[in-house]
Amino acid sequence: MKILKLEKGKLDLFASVVQQFGEVHAPTEHEGKFSFKRLNSWSEARLDYNRTVLPPRKYFLPPRETLFKYREATGYVPATEDLEKRVVLFGVHACDIHALNILDEVFGKGYLDPYYLTRRKNITIIGIDCTPDEHCFCRSMRADFAETGFDLFLKDIGDHYLTFVGTARGDDMVIATGPLFSEVTHSDIVEYKRRSSQKCDTFKLDLEIRDLPEIFELEYQADIWEELGEKCLSCGNCSMVCPTCYCYDVADEVKLGSHDGDRVRLWDSCLFATHALVAGGENFRKTRSSRIKFRFYHKQRGFVAEYGRPSCVGCGRCIEACPVGINIVGVINRLRGVEHASTD
Amino acid sequence: MSRPNVGIFGLTGCAGDQLVILNCEDRFLHIIAALNIRDFAMASSDNDSACDLDLAIVEGAVLSRRDEEQLERIRARSRILVAIGTCAVWGGIAAMDGDTDRSQLVRDIYGECGEQFDTTPARALHEIVGVDLNISGCPIEEEEFLSGISNLLNGDLPIAPTTPVCAECKMREYNCLLTERVDMCLGPLTLGGCNARCPGLSIGCVGCRGPVDDANLESVTALFMENGFGREDIARKLRTFAGLRVVAHTLSEDES
Repeated sequence: MKILKLEKGKLDLFASVVQQFGEVHAPTEHEGKFSFKRLNSWSEARLDYNRTVLPPRKYFLPPRETLFKYREATGYVPATEDLEKRVVLFGVHACDIHALNILDEVFGKGYLDPYYLTRRKNITIIGIDCTPDEHCFCRSMRADFAETGFDLFLKDIGDHYLTFVGTARGDDMVIATGPLFSEVTHSDIVEYKRRSSQKCDTFKLDLEIRDLPEIFELEYQADIWEELGEKCLSCGNCSMVCPTCYCYDVADEVKLGSHDGDRVRLWDSCLFATHALVAGGENFRKTRSSRIKFRFYHKQRGFVAEYGRPSCVGCGRCIEACPVGINIVGVINRLRGVEHASTD
Repeated sequence: MSRPNVGIFGLTGCAGDQLVILNCEDRFLHIIAALNIRDFAMASSDNDSACDLDLAIVEGAVLSRRDEEQLERIRARSRILVAIGTCAVWGGIAAMDGDTDRSQLVRDIYGECGEQFDTTPARALHEIVGVDLNISGCPIEEEEFLSGISNLLNGDLPIAPTTPVCAECKMREYNCLLTERVDMCLGPLTLGGCNARCPGLSIGCVGCRGPVDDANLESVTALFMENGFGREDIARKLRTFAGLRVVAHTLSEDES
């Protein structure tokens, strides 16, 4: 992997050159919360953010999108608007990059999803270092460092960013900016290693995922699922903000006075009362406890069986977004019988 | 496509839902083109009040024997009956005090002469006649109404929103008024479809669209109390649009 370094003071210059690779979107702040948005000017970018309300998933699987239009006169017309738009996501954290790699497994293998894959091709990812806060547990989920899934990754070493070049497009960006980048020195490497090990010590949350699927199997009838069902609001906040939740609903929207319409795809959540409702009125997960239990089992048990790793990256969004304080780390530690002081 | 005969009616309410239909503006011509509106007192003085209807669209709650009789007449002449607005679907604001004795209420408001008024406790349409489709909202959402009618015309079951306000709130990345503990936001209890209009303006959801399926009233009440709100304030907030009062009743009956 090609690694260079970029002076922090020249980041705005770098960002201005990067514009030629697509519309630059970065985390911006609104009333103390962050969200990825198109930048009007580089000064809006807040690369020191903790986490965005919605993960970058919204760029690849939008909350609502038209899949195709159907018209009596012209038949089926695939919707392509915005699909080919080139976007540069500037400042994506390692956990969110891991989450995209997980979504690649779901949408990019077996049944290929052309909408997701086209966007994945057209959206450039520039990763950036972060500092764990009280909700972060990406280290426990093995998602605190990204090895793949980015075009460039910027690692903070003080006055400079070590810039890891992940793809040919990343290399094109470096080449396009020419003299902004310089060679990495021995002292940069020493500083990188020091910061890397320091970061590992800053996590306040911890959980063990080894043999977790087995523990989930053993605890299928545990009381905790009923307790969580009583508390859970079924509001779906946890899955709306989850970087790896990918359930969606598909509906036809008909135009008034015709047989023409659009087929749309919308985010769905297994927490919603109607998620497992089928024709005839049967509901396979009628109770809240069965729904929240399903969400935990799918992430930590089912996904491991199918893809070899949990579909949780420890970003902490669900902990922050739950109105009634349901905390995944607390739940898992309780299932394990491990009390952890900082999980409440 | 043949144009079905349609009637649009208002029982007791503010007429705001009929106004939403009239306010469809540029699309109102599409509505006229698709529907043969035969009876719509709010929009026309030339009405056929006796013809058979393929579709009756009814707003407002039933608050008098006159409302009740009118609703029964509408039902008898219509193939499909659609209730529009929270009053028609849940009883609405008029039903918030459904537990208080009616004759007492009338005396409190109008004095002794109140006895002569034709007034009954507020009821939703489905409590009196069969309703084929409920479109809730205070007022209804234009898009939901138009797509519901389009689906009916195509012989499809309309796709109604089923998810809580929270889902649409998060999709728009609005700040959560519950986790920030600033307001009694009823988002988790309330049927979405409004694109979280109020939380988007930093105003807690007032529950105007009625309850979402499987609303967890107990957990939300506990959360509000934890956030420093009093039991009376919470009760008042929950019963404003009647739907959650209905859910609370069901819960307490389950317990007893």
